[in-house]
Amino acid sequence: MSLLEVRGLTKRFGGLAALDGLDLEVREGEIVSVIGPNGAGKTTLFNTITGLYEPDEGDVVFDGRSIVGLRPNQITRLGIARTFQTVHLFPNMSVLENAMVGQHSRSRSGVFATVFRLPGQRREEERIRERARDALGFFGTRLSGYRHDQPAFTLSYANRRRLEIARALATEPKLLLLDEPTAGMNPRETLEVTEQIGRLRDERGLTILVIEHDMRVVKGVSDRVVACDYGRKIAEGTYEEVANDPQVIEAYLGKKAVG
Amino acid sequence: MSGSAIVRRALRAGLVGAVIVVYLALVGMIERFQVRNLIGTQVTLARLLIAAPAFLAGLVAARPRIASGRVEQPTLPQAWPLGALTGAVAGAATGVLMLIWDAIGIDSVRNVFPNASPTLMSILTFGHPVVLAGLILTAGGAAVGAAGSVFRLLQFRIRRPLTTGVVTMLILALLQRIVPTALFELGLASGWLYSPITGGLTWPGALLVVVAATAAAWFWAERRRASRAGPEGTPQGRRMTRYVALLAIAGVLAVLPQLIGSVFSNILGDVGIYLLMGLGLNIVVGYAGMLHLGNVAFFAAGAYLTAVLMSAVPVTALGQGHPALSWHLSFYAALPLVIVLAAVLGVLIAGPVLRLRGDYLAIVTLGFGQIVSVLLQSDWLKPVLGGAQGLTGIAPAPIAGVSFRNPQTFYYLMVVLCVAAIYVSWRLAESRIGRAWNAMREDEQVAEAMGINTVRYKLLAFALGGAIGSLSGALFAVRIGSLTPTSFELLVSITALAVVILGGMGSIPGVVVGALALIGLPGLLSEFEDYRLLIYGAALVAIMILRPQGLIPNVRTARELKEEEILQDAWSRIYAGREPAPAAVGEAGKERG
Repeated sequence: MSLLEVRGLTKRFGGLAALDGLDLEVREGEIVSVIGPNGAGKTTLFNTITGLYEPDEGDVVFDGRSIVGLRPNQITRLGIARTFQTVHLFPNMSVLENAMVGQHSRSRSGVFATVFRLPGQRREEERIRERARDALGFFGTRLSGYRHDQPAFTLSYANRRRLEIARALATEPKLLLLDEPTAGMNPRETLEVTEQIGRLRDERGLTILVIEHDMRVVKGVSDRVVACDYGRKIAEGTYEEVANDPQVIEAYLGKKAVG
Repeated sequence: MSGSAIVRRALRAGLVGAVIVVYLALVGMIERFQVRNLIGTQVTLARLLIAAPAFLAGLVAARPRIASGRVEQPTLPQAWPLGALTGAVAGAATGVLMLIWDAIGIDSVRNVFPNASPTLMSILTFGHPVVLAGLILTAGGAAVGAAGSVFRLLQFRIRRPLTTGVVTMLILALLQRIVPTALFELGLASGWLYSPITGGLTWPGALLVVVAATAAAWFWAERRRASRAGPEGTPQGRRMTRYVALLAIAGVLAVLPQLIGSVFSNILGDVGIYLLMGLGLNIVVGYAGMLHLGNVAFFAAGAYLTAVLMSAVPVTALGQGHPALSWHLSFYAALPLVIVLAAVLGVLIAGPVLRLRGDYLAIVTLGFGQIVSVLLQSDWLKPVLGGAQGLTGIAPAPIAGVSFRNPQTFYYLMVVLCVAAIYVSWRLAESRIGRAWNAMREDEQVAEAMGINTVRYKLLAFALGGAIGSLSGALFAVRIGSLTPTSFELLVSITALAVVILGGMGSIPGVVVGALALIGLPGLLSEFEDYRLLIYGAALVAIMILRPQGLIPNVRTARELKEEEILQDAWSRIYAGREPAPAAVGEAGKERG
């Protein structure tokens, strides 16, 4: 059963069509990679799915209902979480608080309950804390223990990327969108993330759509690979199929000179 | 860094100090502040103002310098001549000024600078002939500047307690009109500390205070160092300490008006009103990060709504008119209505500005504040709000026969509302609502992508900020019983914002300290009152440059520094091989958490 279905999605910025009738399907429990050269429209695709951009044409169906026109916070509540290509944490909040913000859409205490410390609010606050700890715990000791109380800006680069994933996990999503999770990481860290993406599906039952440039990661994690160029899908299939597709090779390396 | 660059920097610091002294003299501050004895008759507030720029310039001259990636700390033999040079420049400039004045005659100077009086000249020359005075100023400046630079070279763990000691002494000296009265009321002798003749501290008293406060700060710091190295106190122990501290504060708050008398209770009343305004503004500016310059709107709404609901009468040219509403609600019945209506006003203000950020938001909210000021004075609303003449006849708010009109009883009403507002602010900050505001302040788009409805939380911040801010207006209305529009000008918004910024945005203790410093101190010393706006401006500029997080920063910011230290300790233990790597650090952290 398909969890996410993107149909004929078009997004234009002025005269430039960043997405040009793109179709994409992600089935439940799948890990799908989106590849393509710079400017192919991959991040625009993520931004349109998560409601940051409104598409000009086409539809996005998530879990059986269209989510076009919903606000980003509503889409998060329905179960789509994302990370950003360039790290966007809340730098002055602690690691734990960053993850606790992720729980926002899964909690509901209002002003009255908060000010008067109603039992429901206290239980909820405890639950938020517990789930945030659990999300951070996915990365073992890297984001746990004394790190909980550290402000996010003191983290190393790789840890910031991990925290972004943990914060997304804390929103309890069904579908996780990862935008270049290994950008800027060293080979050892990249290997670790590759393994963790697999674990996210196996242990947490997530469906994952990932944008990635590192072909070792793409090869390592993907059930299916979708290649884009100029906002259109140019190939789809297993890693081997896509990697050997002449159109994909052309998109990356350019057309072979005639003669 | 080359030698000449160091000297240039020292000279520049000295010249800045010189400009400050000359400026303070020309605006009349030094002459006005001469009457205030701080210690004996020798240290007056004016002399402190003359010496402080030289001291600070010396401090700056000895500051470590980062050159090509290396931190260069000047050594003692390098630093003190630099400081002396800096201070000498600052002092000599004043001396030169005296020479010029003497040459062209003080009366001609006075035509241009009205504050240049013979009294000022005798203060700056210490009553000596100008040439000798110039030499004294230069030598004195050099000595003070050298002291400043040597002070800067002291180790942090010595410098910090010493600063605490001297600052404590200065605060006690500034509180000279209030502490002796309080000591007298408590039946304690104050003669050893304050001289009844000079008004200021006695020399032995001042020295004793510096020594005692320095020692206390030293031991406190050492104990914290020890507790960081070893296991931290048990949660029960810490909770116990907190309860004891809260009880102590409650005790002091309960007896304060009896100790300090009516005049100073009245000043505390002003402090309380601005504290409430600051707490409301703190939610909008500090927590949610929206620069709101129209806070006076909430203050005015609170005051006028209270007055109208309590059926105050408009003042007209012919005497008193009829109240617009003849409900004659009591203060306590009106208050919940006022809070709700102010929250609605907050939403109305927030509505149009939801899409604006930063400077644009500031300008639009500034406009809202002005609209309220204009409405209060308008003829259109005159039948209800009394126009330029305002409203009068606001009934007192009695409980069990106590009317809260007298400053010493009003104080208690103020404290109750302040404590309530602090409690609400604290609960909100520690909840998902506070986290949502913080996330929005840090990065609005990402906050939205993490599931926060930014529209709702912006509206909520303005509504709650308005509700808390309106309490200040309600208090203001029942305090005197009449209102005029002149109390609701732009300056109120600016002052409230200054309170929040000075104390530290998003920090509740910061707002308290900000209100005490900016409202309490000028009320306490009349000479401050004359230069209130100059001091506000200088304080804000200084805080923005030296300590942008405020006097008492938000825990979040303070924690950063502490955590970094803990982290370094943990790593140094690991590298020393005493503990296995990260897992153990994680475990230690879990126990703490």
